[in-house]
Amino acid sequence: MDKRTNIRNMSVIAHVDHGKSTLSDSLVAKAGIIAGARAGDARYMDTRQDEIDRGITIKSTAISLHFSMPAEDMGEIKQKTDGNDFLINLIDSPGHVDFSSEVTAALRVTDGALVVVDTIDGVCVQTETVLRQALGERIKPVIVINKVDKEALYTTFRNTIENVNVVIATYHIDALGDTQVAPEKGTVCFGSGLHGWAFTLRQFAALYSKKFGVPKEKMMTKLWGDNYFNPATKKWTTKAQADDGKMLERAFNMFVLDPIYKLFDSIMNFKKEQTAVLLEKLNIVLKSDEREQEGKVLLKTVMRTFLPAADALLEMMCIHLPSPVTAQRYRMEGLYEGPHDDECAVAIRDCDPEGPLMLYVSKMVPTSDKGRFYAFGRVFAGTVRAGQKVRIQGPNYIPGKKDDLFVKNIQRTVLMMGRTVEAIEDCPCGNIVGLVGIDQFLLKSGTLTTSETAHNLKVMKFSVSPVVQIAVEVKNANDLPKLVEGLKRLSKSDPCVLCYTSDSGEHIVAGAGELHLEICLKDLEEDHAGVPLRKGDPVVQFRETVQAESSIVCLSKSPNKHNRIFMKAHPMVEELSSDIEAGKISPKDDFKIRARILADEYEWDVTDARKIWCFGPETTGANLLVDITKGVQFMNEIKDSCVSGFQWATKEGCLADENMRSIRFNIMDVVLHADAIHRGGGQLIPTARRVVFASFLTASPALQEPVYLVEIQCPETAIGGIFTVLNRRRGVLIGQEQKAGTPLFNVRAYLPVMESFGFTGDLRAATGGQAFPQCVFDHWQVMPTNPLEKGSKTNEIILNVRKRKGLKIETPLLEDFYDKL
Amino acid sequence: MLYIVGLGLGDEKDITVKGLEAVKSCNRIYLEHYTAILTVPKERLEALYGKPVLLADREMVESDLNSILEGADKVNVAFLVVGDPYGATTHTDLVLRAKELNIPVTSIHNASIMNAVGCCGLQLYNYGQTISIVFFLDNWRPDSFYDKIKQNRNIKLHTLCLLDIKVKEQSIENMARGRKIYEPPRYMTVNQAVEQLLEVEDNRKENVYNRNTIAVGMSRVGAPDQRIIAGTLEELLDADFGEPLHSLVLAGEMHFLEADSLRQYAINVDTFNKYAQVSDH
Repeated sequence: MDKRTNIRNMSVIAHVDHGKSTLSDSLVAKAGIIAGARAGDARYMDTRQDEIDRGITIKSTAISLHFSMPAEDMGEIKQKTDGNDFLINLIDSPGHVDFSSEVTAALRVTDGALVVVDTIDGVCVQTETVLRQALGERIKPVIVINKVDKEALYTTFRNTIENVNVVIATYHIDALGDTQVAPEKGTVCFGSGLHGWAFTLRQFAALYSKKFGVPKEKMMTKLWGDNYFNPATKKWTTKAQADDGKMLERAFNMFVLDPIYKLFDSIMNFKKEQTAVLLEKLNIVLKSDEREQEGKVLLKTVMRTFLPAADALLEMMCIHLPSPVTAQRYRMEGLYEGPHDDECAVAIRDCDPEGPLMLYVSKMVPTSDKGRFYAFGRVFAGTVRAGQKVRIQGPNYIPGKKDDLFVKNIQRTVLMMGRTVEAIEDCPCGNIVGLVGIDQFLLKSGTLTTSETAHNLKVMKFSVSPVVQIAVEVKNANDLPKLVEGLKRLSKSDPCVLCYTSDSGEHIVAGAGELHLEICLKDLEEDHAGVPLRKGDPVVQFRETVQAESSIVCLSKSPNKHNRIFMKAHPMVEELSSDIEAGKISPKDDFKIRARILADEYEWDVTDARKIWCFGPETTGANLLVDITKGVQFMNEIKDSCVSGFQWATKEGCLADENMRSIRFNIMDVVLHADAIHRGGGQLIPTARRVVFASFLTASPALQEPVYLVEIQCPETAIGGIFTVLNRRRGVLIGQEQKAGTPLFNVRAYLPVMESFGFTGDLRAATGGQAFPQCVFDHWQVMPTNPLEKGSKTNEIILNVRKRKGLKIETPLLEDFYDKL
Repeated sequence: MLYIVGLGLGDEKDITVKGLEAVKSCNRIYLEHYTAILTVPKERLEALYGKPVLLADREMVESDLNSILEGADKVNVAFLVVGDPYGATTHTDLVLRAKELNIPVTSIHNASIMNAVGCCGLQLYNYGQTISIVFFLDNWRPDSFYDKIKQNRNIKLHTLCLLDIKVKEQSIENMARGRKIYEPPRYMTVNQAVEQLLEVEDNRKENVYNRNTIAVGMSRVGAPDQRIIAGTLEELLDADFGEPLHSLVLAGEMHFLEADSLRQYAINVDTFNKYAQVSDH
């Protein structure tokens, strides 16, 4: 643990069902935690009963492994090392999109990612999502092509690798250096998690380099791409046709795939003699009891002896994935919010165990002690110890202030080992650790430090948002306190779930999708609250937006009538709003640089763009408040009040109390009382809110609904059924293509989230269980019809939402917010 | 008829005879209760008038004027204001609204801090613009009064500083939630005002005043236990003024008679003589 150069922190990420957990098993088996024979079936990293029942991973799980690299291979590691013993901290993460917040939390604490791709399915929507997330976090990827036990070909491999590289290139980050993967470099692994074997070209290169007398590295390049070996002339060539006109076999097929297929063939078809010859040729020595095995069991044993998955994977990680020392050098800028030259930044960059403690808690893991959690995180600088006094800085902490800050002692530090934990005394930087005794001071995530001047480590940005929500209530009124407590625990245990109480007193749980909600509610009912619950129908969140400039300049007067604010609302282009939501344009940017981008890319006036007062709601949302007044005195004294009023108004819009989105509010003019006492917050906050509403209502208001991107893999016969279901649910087809080299089709469509409830079941019924959709939130879509027009579809929606929230069931009136001069 | 009646500064007996007669003729009596406070509870008023008095808080006056004005065209309604009806600019809106509704309005004046401040000895016609000092918050520290003080002092005038009072104010969160939960009342003391004044001078550094500038603090002017203390700002930082309400005057250039009057309230006569600016002519 103390050898920081010999640590590898890595997450296993992939599309659902591409075999992450199965593959992780091989690694766990290597560490001797489960028997080798059971690897692939045990799914050791799936720790929950429902994970085992459903065969999918729901929560990410961490484990630490030791690995000794053969001394002769150490030369291949291009970064600093210290001895040949390595500590591998491995996090297995869920593949289903609904749980991708778990992936985000896993990526934050690791430096490298093992991207698993199914041979047949290739690069899927979630593969792309997790890769994008990984690169965004400056995580270096290597890939594993899994399920090679299925019929597979060189071209399939090549296509898959190319597709991965296209995604990598799209989201490439310069600071990370070369991230393209290639078999000849050893950053692609082929294997079968289920059977516990895998290889990189290194293994074969090692095997053949002696035989051909070619150095290993050169051999690796020969084994991939357009390289051929002519057995007749015993010469290498790059042409597929030999001089004598004979077609040559590609070296990869000849030297790598052939031996494997031959083994498969002879074992599975019980050709015992041939098997014995092959085993000898490949130097595979079986134990006496293993020799008695036959068929599948023998195949598994042979393959695992011949090409043990764990060795190939661990070697690949140690050689190609960065150690914390290497990684933190380029990750610091993306991680730390403070100045990049203060003591904390330097300690992170240098991965300095003597520096101030900088630890990011990325998620909470439930302990066996009900209601308590381990705070799970990564030590980026300094050393964390049991009993140490630390500053616990929540996401809203501002340096120098006391909000969202606690100073407490860490009770214990532990290593997370899948299903168990192991107590340790201290843990230096570069490691992943679990902490006891601070769970009640953090909501979900946060920064722990010993430096009084430390800024926060950046808050994680999730690719999914809780767009689906459901109201819950207890069946027996006496259980209410248990529900309230349970909601608190649920909120802590999941990085993405949102639990809150609406003004009408309803308890709302919001999640990324139907499955996510289902799991959350099950946990809530059976575990966190432990009381029977009644659940409402799932509902979606909406956004309130505008589609035109305000028809008039709107005026609102303060309650004491001494102050007036004039304002107009304008719609913002969707690209700008998306950029804001993706964090590309943020309130933390330098205002001059931001103004330049707004002017160049979105045709803003530069002087206006420099006078953005704030983003909202929650100071980060995709609405802007802009001061375009000219020569008005005291603007700086009322700015805070206007900002508060704007935050409040954009958080709880006037149509249905939903967030506003994609609106720019211009303060045109302000007339103020000469004396500060008559223009305080009490006067101006409500006024700012009312004028925002007035300008909203005069700017052709509209509702936006969330829309999923759905990807469905299915055989051709199922396509008709898919179209029927999509049509019925307002789905819009955007693409349909056959997967190269397979009979499978890939259908992509947009589907309103509102229509997605029961979609999976419906689809299964319509296609005879052949189609499996992956839904991931994609964008907000404006709904046609005017929400202010009585009887329109959107008017009906807002009245329903208002009813649900316990608000007055009526369409908002301009007169309530607009004052006459 | 709407009577807007000034109550004066002290207790219930400071009302004018004319005012008392008007109040006694009224069907409803409102006491405006947020721009200033009386030194006596409203029960004492009720005993004197022989009628119930309704408290009108900020919310009522600003958002619910109609209930106050209702029927005032037929019966008499009194709106009682501590000090003078027009001492602060706050109630002009009430008069405007009443006129719109064709309700006749009669104002009955009384003493206000704006004139009672003469008690300290600084003559009323030597005052410049009156300013208000509000409670500074973490991120809201309006200092535009500094420019007004500067203007006053440039032409050697005194500056009356009215100090913030917060009665029935909601926190921002409660306002957003629409909850009628109010913060406990707060009244600015002379000490707090001086502290904020010095903070602003430290920030702006335009040398408008300094720690040795002579000022006079007053509390509960018009009440039997009123206190008047003069001294440098430094000295006033921890002078004890007792219960609210407090006011503060920054002295400009003084006529010798003004200086003589003020000197009798000085904490320290020596520093007073040293720093007081007395006109030579």
